[in-house]
Amino acid sequence: MLGHWHNRLLLRALFVLAFASAAVVCAEDANDSSGPPTYRSTVSEVRVTFFATDENNHPLETLTKSDFAVVDNERVVRNFRSFTHSDETALDVVVLVDLSGSVAARVRVAISDVLQLVAREQSIPDDNLSVLSFGGASGGNSGGALRPAILCSSSCRASDSASKLLAVKSGGTTPLFDALVFAADFISHHRCAAVRPVMILFSDGDDNISMHSPREALQAVMDQGALIYSVDMGRPGNQTSGSVFLRRASQATGGRYFSLRSPHQDGAATVLNAVLDDLRASYVVTYDLPSYQAGFHSLRLLPTHNLNLTFHSRNGYDYEPSGSLMGDH
Amino acid sequence: MKSTWLLTLVWIMTGISVASAAPIGAYQHGTVVRMRMGDCMLMHRGFMTQFGPPQAAMAEEGCPEYTLVTDKVVYLIVGKSSNQLVPLAEVIDFRILNKELAVRVDDARKESKFAIKEMTLRSEWELIQKHMENQLNDSQHRPVDTSMAMRNRE
Repeated sequence: MLGHWHNRLLLRALFVLAFASAAVVCAEDANDSSGPPTYRSTVSEVRVTFFATDENNHPLETLTKSDFAVVDNERVVRNFRSFTHSDETALDVVVLVDLSGSVAARVRVAISDVLQLVAREQSIPDDNLSVLSFGGASGGNSGGALRPAILCSSSCRASDSASKLLAVKSGGTTPLFDALVFAADFISHHRCAAVRPVMILFSDGDDNISMHSPREALQAVMDQGALIYSVDMGRPGNQTSGSVFLRRASQATGGRYFSLRSPHQDGAATVLNAVLDDLRASYVVTYDLPSYQAGFHSLRLLPTHNLNLTFHSRNGYDYEPSGSLMGDH
Repeated sequence: MKSTWLLTLVWIMTGISVASAAPIGAYQHGTVVRMRMGDCMLMHRGFMTQFGPPQAAMAEEGCPEYTLVTDKVVYLIVGKSSNQLVPLAEVIDFRILNKELAVRVDDARKESKFAIKEMTLRSEWELIQKHMENQLNDSQHRPVDTSMAMRNRE
């Protein structure tokens, strides 16, 4: 009997103790305005947007994560955190036209291409299309020919914009790298979520007067996450330092390189279709940072089976150890 | 008798076609763990490469260099041009052929040949990798004496 009472007393004591401790925890929670405890950990993730083309230079719409590997600062990465279609659904297109003396003979063809691009209403909304120029006899603005000029922005389909485009005069020096920095800055003021910034650059790639270096120019473009689609206005078949720069600029930013059309080809349509197809065929892959080495990490996507595939993405990113999350945009 | 001859002929023809399709020598397996663009000097030692026009040098991106890890040996192999690639699959098949390393490409009969730049025992290679990683971690965690740097600059 005594033992029974002793057991009941012990049970009651335990119950009271449990209730009291629960009450204390609740009171502590109520006093703590920050709510439930939060466990923090630093995660370093690399995010790369890319698209792939086949041996005929056509973008591939269907791709699996076993089709490619990432080479990040020489290390081969095959284990990805995620692999999805890109969420970018629209384009913000900045057309940058070289009007300098070195391309004078082909400026009319380029301008005709630009006018065709502008006319493609169904592809790009008017708000997401701008045309800038650099070089040229008058420059088109008060700063003279050395400063890039905004020929039209968000109203390029208006009649006065078309007449402005037709009135440009070629000649003078080529501040290409300064123009790229200017265009990158221009893009930075237009950036929107889920919109891919694209620069369509009509030039021969030669620069003879810029204050910025080619490295600075490309860095400025890459900082905005913009892709350069270069249209080479140099003589076809000539491997000049200018055409090498254009190829490198397109490669480094994840864009593509084209030659200016011959008179009977529809060059503008080719370029714009490529830009749109690449957008539709874009994927995003994320993975854990393979090395915590600060500074520039080179980036390359390579095939795992089909060596005819070419992957287009930006060619690197900067890693600062203080930043916990990184991306390519 | 005629059918026996016919069967023998078919058997010989099949044997010949299989022999010509499948390369001689057993394939080994390995995984590429590193890749970088190195110089092509190992592959091209020609006069034009050394003294050719600067445009050619600019256009040349270099040759791909791969670290191929197998069970016992780690190979450093170099491609012959910038676009000669090794499939970066989990496991690749290769064999050594006349001082070169032939990699089976695209799950097919085709092979791509690479020069062997270095060969290291895997155990040694792993030790070196570990040592390099430790050094890198140490240099990242070691505090920088900025006062010393300032003094040196002065």
